[in-house]
Amino acid sequence: MADALPLNRSAPVRHVVGIYWRTWFAQIRSIVEYPADLWVMTSAGAMWNILQFAFLSVLFANVPEVAGWGYHEMLLLSGLLSVAGGSNALLWDGVWSTGSMVIKGDIDYRITRPAPVVLQVGSAHIGMQSIGEVVFGSAMFVYGWIGTGLGLAVLPIGLLALVCAAVIQSGLVTALCAVSFWIKGPMPIFAFLMIDLQRNAMKLPLGIFPVGVRIVTQFLVPVAFVNFVPVAVLTGHLSEWWLIGLPPAALAAILAAVGVYRLGLRSYDSAGH
Amino acid sequence: MASVDVALATIAFKRKIAYKTTWLFSILFGGWALLAGLAVWNHLIGDGEVGGYDWQAMKAYLIIGFLTSTLAWAGSEWDMANRILDGLVAIDLTKPVDFQRARAGEYIGGMIASVPAAVLGTAAAVLIFQPAPPASAFAGLLTAFSLLFIFPLAFGISYLAVLTCFFTQRFLGIQWAKDSMVAFFSGMMIPIALMPTWLEGLAWAMPFVHFTTTPAAIYLGRVDTAGAFGLIAAEAAWALGLWVIARLLWRHLVKKVTIHGG
Repeated sequence: MADALPLNRSAPVRHVVGIYWRTWFAQIRSIVEYPADLWVMTSAGAMWNILQFAFLSVLFANVPEVAGWGYHEMLLLSGLLSVAGGSNALLWDGVWSTGSMVIKGDIDYRITRPAPVVLQVGSAHIGMQSIGEVVFGSAMFVYGWIGTGLGLAVLPIGLLALVCAAVIQSGLVTALCAVSFWIKGPMPIFAFLMIDLQRNAMKLPLGIFPVGVRIVTQFLVPVAFVNFVPVAVLTGHLSEWWLIGLPPAALAAILAAVGVYRLGLRSYDSAGH
Repeated sequence: MASVDVALATIAFKRKIAYKTTWLFSILFGGWALLAGLAVWNHLIGDGEVGGYDWQAMKAYLIIGFLTSTLAWAGSEWDMANRILDGLVAIDLTKPVDFQRARAGEYIGGMIASVPAAVLGTAAAVLIFQPAPPASAFAGLLTAFSLLFIFPLAFGISYLAVLTCFFTQRFLGIQWAKDSMVAFFSGMMIPIALMPTWLEGLAWAMPFVHFTTTPAAIYLGRVDTAGAFGLIAAEAAWALGLWVIARLLWRHLVKKVTIHGG
């Protein structure tokens, strides 16, 4: 039996933040030692965005709008989704290794160290594809922003959307990767399912999907708050009251991540038992 | 096929089904894509047609894409990648088994483990959504034959993607880039027929198109019998070509393996 160190007791916030940045910068130092790795992974991250841009361009060459949404509005959707995914890979990619660490018993080593386990795991890697994702995703987002005619007046909303998107994405991925403590397997299948759901459904207007999909994505696994809700508010497809939901959704994602990880650690029994 | 190939395929099959929950849930990957695709194209096509596809034809197209993608992504590419990333490839070099053949056996064994789930999922989708039937019985047979090439094609593309692990420390981003390429250029994301001429030409010049567009074109009668045989021949050529390209690349990349810094 193991437990994550409570943030407010054994691991002061300053200590936790310090550990995180030290580990993260150690990864950066490692990355610059392998330039080929950096370029291959950055290109890989750019690929999805380029193809997403191509998809939207081809689609809107054949149809004028999708459920009332135009080309630039859908670029905003895809761009924000990419930035969220890229931020997760850039700042918190290690959680994807939770499943393999559980199987191999690698969590043992992290339990013995004086820092929260989820922090050690989360900062254990940097997904270098994130550079391509964030750069090209931002480019798509800005292009969509300009094309939609959004001005600087709503820039604070855009920034809030970017921050909340990164936090919600990372929180939900962490919570779903932690399911590997119970449903053991080398791959975090539930986290992959969420990404799959996002890549298939959340780059499109929710209005074309059945009501069940809308309820699930807005309230059960609130991936809609990553990109759809803020973009729909910015473009006038949803009431601005929906913006109130962004910070609580981000907080809920963090609490879900910490809570599920701690429960998972309690049921962790190392490898081979 | 030697007994060692069968043995490796069997091991991969057993390893795949050892994690039963993961195995069962893996079918949902294709399920999301299918349901999202149906919702989008139902909205866009309505009673008309887009790119020569009416609603019935598009349902068949998407269900074929669901079947092929469920099969294609069931292989054990992460096992292949981890052998390189963890350095186990150094051990493999000491074994009297060809690395590429061994990985092919394991990959296809993993794919075979997904066949029952893929077939059940497809049967359920056909019963629920009732897509257009094949253009003819012979077209249906040729479609089934063309689907067999998914096995070597999926291995060839995944293996080439995995070989980049000689340069990288992670496979996740590579996998997503490869999946994106296949989804877009196979026609799963958007039918090739809707693309501008230059992009359509580019798609047909790559192997990815045979994952969805080729079997769907044969099934729906968008090509005649001669055209169907031509597409199947192209699939066979790509399966062989990818195998040869991978072998040539391996000879170069394996020189990057270092053991204890030596």
